Amino acid sequence: MKEFALMMIGAALVNNVILARFLGLCSFMGVTTRIDTAAGMGLATTFVMTVSAMIDWGVQRYLLEAWDLGYLRTITFILVIASTVQFTELVIRKISPTLFQMLGIYLPLIATNCAVLGVALLVVEGRMGFVASTMFAFASSVGFSLVMVIFAGLRERLALANVPQLFAGPPIAFILASLLAMAFMGFSGISTG
Amino acid sequence: MTMIPHPTRAEAPLPLIEGTARVVRIEGATAWLEPEQTTACHGCAAAASCGGDTGDSRGFGSVASRLAGRRFALDNPGSLRVGERIVVGVNHGALIKAALTAYALPLATTLSAGALAEWAAAGDLVAMASMAAGLGLGILAARIGARRLADRGELDPRFLRRADAGPVAASCGELSPGSVA
Repeated sequence: MKEFALMMIGAALVNNVILARFLGLCSFMGVTTRIDTAAGMGLATTFVMTVSAMIDWGVQRYLLEAWDLGYLRTITFILVIASTVQFTELVIRKISPTLFQMLGIYLPLIATNCAVLGVALLVVEGRMGFVASTMFAFASSVGFSLVMVIFAGLRERLALANVPQLFAGPPIAFILASLLAMAFMGFSGISTG
Repeated sequence: MTMIPHPTRAEAPLPLIEGTARVVRIEGATAWLEPEQTTACHGCAAAASCGGDTGDSRGFGSVASRLAGRRFALDNPGSLRVGERIVVGVNHGALIKAALTAYALPLATTLSAGALAEWAAAGDLVAMASMAAGLGLGILAARIGARRLADRGELDPRFLRRADAGPVAASCGELSPGSVA
């Protein structure tokens, strides 16, 4: 159980998907203007990332490895992710049309989020068991959501600040992102401690 | 050094989450609205013609067909007409509640089932089956939760005001008639 906890902390904080692996940067910059939308996007990504990692693990173990089709891994995983997004969209529409109105906008964005594919590839490279792989994907996506919400909170505050014209907009956002990345580097001490 | 005052949550009222929608049909006291697509080109009033189609822009998989699938009803405040663009809003926190219901609940049951399987030292196949069952259970729970939220009216959008004519990107094709108020 201790190994699980350490692995999950490592995936969420030390090797954060956004700030350490630099994946999913388009949604990191594009959907973080409000905390609400960042949290909505983060939760949707968490769901899709975890479920697609579960399916990808099964596909890798029982299809690609069993039939020696490793060269099809990337394209197969992309297909799995797109299918998971479509499945999620269908399920949410079935659960509640109102929920679909509110949340449907984020789902197509997730299909093109490289962080989802990146985590799926890391999961199979890690050669972990099924539950460990799922927990790793879940922890990675929690780290993704955490950074999205923190960054959105900072940008909400920044919107009220008197930023010099030269730095207004994306430049100050990038500076902020770099400071946040440096702050997260502090977690790397956990892995060596 | 001058400190910049920030309004705290106690001082400022919580804002509504706003979005722009277009009236596509009026049925008695109900107005049917289509949300305006927000895209990387900042979204514009020409979204219904977007996607590069020169003919029928409502083909399978087009932006317009996706928008048609996301139509929603609103009590007509009286003077809305077809083609008008309006701003609608939902309560602060509704998006979070919706996302928690739709995503966090199924995930929680799925991971709990996986943790139980791991605790029981079951093999990978048993863990996969139990997590799939947990996911199904979570989806059922989400359905019940979503119904409760809808019954309480927490997810219902509200009419706020009429929208100004939005920017139209030159590359987005022609504007459909009546799409700008």
